[in-house]
Amino acid sequence: MSALAHYLEEEGLATVAISLIRPQTENTKPPRALWVPFELGRPFGPPGEAAFQRRVILAALGMLERDNGPVIIEDFPDDDPRWQPDPGWRPPPIPAPPAAGSAEALAAQLEAEIPQLRNAHQRWVAQYGRTAVGLCGLSISECGRYVADWLCGKAPPSPREAFSAPLMLRFAVDDVKAYYLEAAAAGTGRPSSRQLGDWLWNETAAGAAIHALREACLASEDDRLKLIAGNFMVPAARVRSTG
Amino acid sequence: MTRLTDLPPAQAKRLAEAECPKFETTPWVTGPALSQRRIAIVSSAGLVVRGEMPFRGRDADYRAVPVDTRPEDLLVSHISINFDRTGLQEDWNVAFPLERLKELAADGVIGSVAETHYSFMGASDPIQMEPHARELAGHLKRDQVDSVLLCPV
Repeated sequence: MSALAHYLEEEGLATVAISLIRPQTENTKPPRALWVPFELGRPFGPPGEAAFQRRVILAALGMLERDNGPVIIEDFPDDDPRWQPDPGWRPPPIPAPPAAGSAEALAAQLEAEIPQLRNAHQRWVAQYGRTAVGLCGLSISECGRYVADWLCGKAPPSPREAFSAPLMLRFAVDDVKAYYLEAAAAGTGRPSSRQLGDWLWNETAAGAAIHALREACLASEDDRLKLIAGNFMVPAARVRSTG
Repeated sequence: MTRLTDLPPAQAKRLAEAECPKFETTPWVTGPALSQRRIAIVSSAGLVVRGEMPFRGRDADYRAVPVDTRPEDLLVSHISINFDRTGLQEDWNVAFPLERLKELAADGVIGSVAETHYSFMGASDPIQMEPHARELAGHLKRDQVDSVLLCPV
């Protein structure tokens, strides 16, 4: 981000950057940056809180009128109120998390679980008017099937010419995760991102399947598949030690 | 919150010690009052309009997001999975504050909102991004943009 600030400012455009990782910003020295104490992914703070977001954006844009640079790095003072968990939130009901089993059994559980969340996901779309599902271009059931086939060792080819099979798998996994996280947040309550992640990774067949898929792909001889599986399927904070 | 102490230690160390490009110059562009500025968002979230080509791997170029893009048509194709996406799923303004910018323009706080906004994928090599960023500056200036809000994830 700070590198872009340098390039654009050198081309004659005034820039102000939001900073999420303060040490990186301090090292790169963009003309103007506002560090914010929010979790990665939320540079303007809590979703659905327009007044809070407006305060952040005004603090940033106000730096464009300053004359004491370069370099100006300032801190936004307030935390994201949505960081706190909502004890009243409940995830949608699904069968108990799967016990350890074969890849085929886990794949079947994943494919059976996806339609069980359809109503919750439809409530999400009705409530927020959008979905982040759609990167790989398949329906969510087809995504589930594609992921399940990989988990069963079938290594299906990519159905899209523009995507290699490993890239298609990455996008299909992204879509499955987006679908689950949206279904989980439908209805009452304002869950934190950690609550939603805890549910996906610990309570669902999808979480178990993606963990298992990661392990299976890491054992592959395909370096590209290993790279994607190792880094771009399970968040670093959720990777389990297989000891 | 993203104080580094709140992240898993290995991730915090990697982020804090990530190699950053060093710049010899400290550019500084001044301009008119905020109420006369035309502002564009440049994101590094790997944003792509639904139906267009997502960022593949570490593509170093950018994607355009027209000002009339609907929230349901914006997708995130960033390669990293180590940032929260649930906020963006619920409300794109947490990382792409287009509606907030439009409100500020309607209120007269800023002059106007650019016709087109843009996204890079922030895990790309900054050196490879440079020619694309300089090309992008030309597009922005042709849209009369004078100021850019840089939005990471």
